[in-house]
Amino acid sequence: MIHCNDITKTFDDLVAVDHVSFEIQSGICALLGPNGAGKSTLVKVLTGLLPPDSGEVRIAGLDVKTQSLLLRRRIGVVPEDLGLFDSLTIQEHLELAGPIYGLSSAATSDRADSLLRVLGLDDARDTFLEECSHGMRKKTALALALLHNPQVLFLDEPFEGIDPVASKTIQDLLRAVAGRGIAVFLTSHILSIVDRLATEIMMIRKGKIVWNSTAQAVSRPLEEVYFELVESAPLEDLAWLRSSPS
Amino acid sequence: MAAIIAILKALGRVVKRDLRTLRSIQFNNFFLFAMLLTYSSLASGRRPAGAAPFLLLLVLVLLFPLSSDPLAKIPEVRLALWPLTRGQWWRLRVASLGLSPVLWAALLVVAATRNLLLAAILVLFAVIAQSLLLLMSSLARRAPRWNPYRYVPQLPGTLGGLVRNNVRQMLTLLDLYVAMMVAIAGAAYRFLSDHPEPRALPIMAFVVGLALSTYAQCFFGLDSASALTRYRLLPLRGWQILLAKDIAFLGILFLLVLPLSPVAGLAFGLAAVAIGRYPSISIRLQQKPWRFTSGDFRFGALQMILATALGFAVYENGKWFFIVVVVVYITSLLVGGWLWEREPHSLS
Repeated sequence: MIHCNDITKTFDDLVAVDHVSFEIQSGICALLGPNGAGKSTLVKVLTGLLPPDSGEVRIAGLDVKTQSLLLRRRIGVVPEDLGLFDSLTIQEHLELAGPIYGLSSAATSDRADSLLRVLGLDDARDTFLEECSHGMRKKTALALALLHNPQVLFLDEPFEGIDPVASKTIQDLLRAVAGRGIAVFLTSHILSIVDRLATEIMMIRKGKIVWNSTAQAVSRPLEEVYFELVESAPLEDLAWLRSSPS
Repeated sequence: MAAIIAILKALGRVVKRDLRTLRSIQFNNFFLFAMLLTYSSLASGRRPAGAAPFLLLLVLVLLFPLSSDPLAKIPEVRLALWPLTRGQWWRLRVASLGLSPVLWAALLVVAATRNLLLAAILVLFAVIAQSLLLLMSSLARRAPRWNPYRYVPQLPGTLGGLVRNNVRQMLTLLDLYVAMMVAIAGAAYRFLSDHPEPRALPIMAFVVGLALSTYAQCFFGLDSASALTRYRLLPLRGWQILLAKDIAFLGILFLLVLPLSPVAGLAFGLAAVAIGRYPSISIRLQQKPWRFTSGDFRFGALQMILATALGFAVYENGKWFFIVVVVVYITSLLVGGWLWEREPHSLS
């Protein structure tokens, strides 16, 4: 489903993605890495939002560079900034997307109803996005990504900044989605969720994939592997926190 | 006292920054048009009476953002959390009124004209404008279904949802309310006067178009980065994204010029959109809601001259010139769509 061959993306002097190659057929693949490691840039390249400087990306058999319009019909994306309109309600976002993906108004309405019910947004469907909580926004973006029944789902930090209930809802939904043959590619910082959810785990640091394994093959705690790759914060710099009473 | 002074200083900075956003008017086509009328009157030694109604309209619409309560710029929760006594709170309440731009404007009027009545009228209008705004926001909070945004319907077709979003964006521009007032005045002239001058109607339609035309230079100016990402993810061609913007703009313009001179007004709108296409996509001037749109002077001048000339040509010569305008518009749509797809990543 996702074929990524020797992808490089630079911004001026910064190499954000450095000769990355991998292949994913199905299941839930999680990409872990610290801030600035290149996770979001890689998702943008995979979804056609950013052109790679070199290398080839094929998603569901389609070339990201030359078949972008077709590709956008086959993938669902929850981007880093969620890609939502402040002056539309939750329901109106789905009503907007349905016809664009070729769904009839009846099919749009049916699918929207079920997605909003499953995601717990049923009562908030008429709320304008600018009045929604972060969790509601994230779930709206997820509903939007699933509405057209995509073959591949990309989620950039889907669990960041949301409450445990919303997080659990999204995890359950992603398991169900993956169980029905949709390949899921997500980025995250939250090791515990990735540990429970992912069937394949990759770690990225300074634009390079430094670790790639199936979840089954991970023989030691994920945390241990992760902290081997990420420098720990210099806490000694905060010594003043203990010594200066206010 | 130190606490109140600190808060007032911060508030002063906020008011100053807020006032700076009103400077957007200086590159607004309608304002430039009013200034041009003023200048030409003064240059020929006459009083600028012709420009007065247009300047008055601008002042009236500007009163809404100018009349806002300075103290309301501090978040309610923050104000409640600060350890202020009741006495301090009242002192702050009274002192903050001194930061109101309308009050300064009224003092300026008194200083310049010694006319207390005029200053009082200005303050009265500001109070009315602010009361109206408070009433509307309280209504929208307490009875969300009365929110006027909800009554913008989704048009049928693939682009219907995008058009709805674009219409709602336009409703947050002060330009639209100036255009509405000109259109209402024009319609009143047409239907209430005994012998309306037929040639005045297309001119009024052009003034309506002019009031809206700056926005045609920055169709993406009110879109957040998040919305721009969504445009990139939707399986639509560049020209379709642009068409959704155009339909909203031209639809509103057409409704406003309908009682005046719909074909000439629409021709003006099509030309203004075609001229504004390049800055809309490539220059991308950010806009703020509830402010006047700020454009690029070069394209604004082109819109004022060319769109008016083409509008007049359509009014005088009929369908052939209209076809020319439509061809120019379609060309701009297709070239713009190509440009949008070619430079997508500067926007995402």
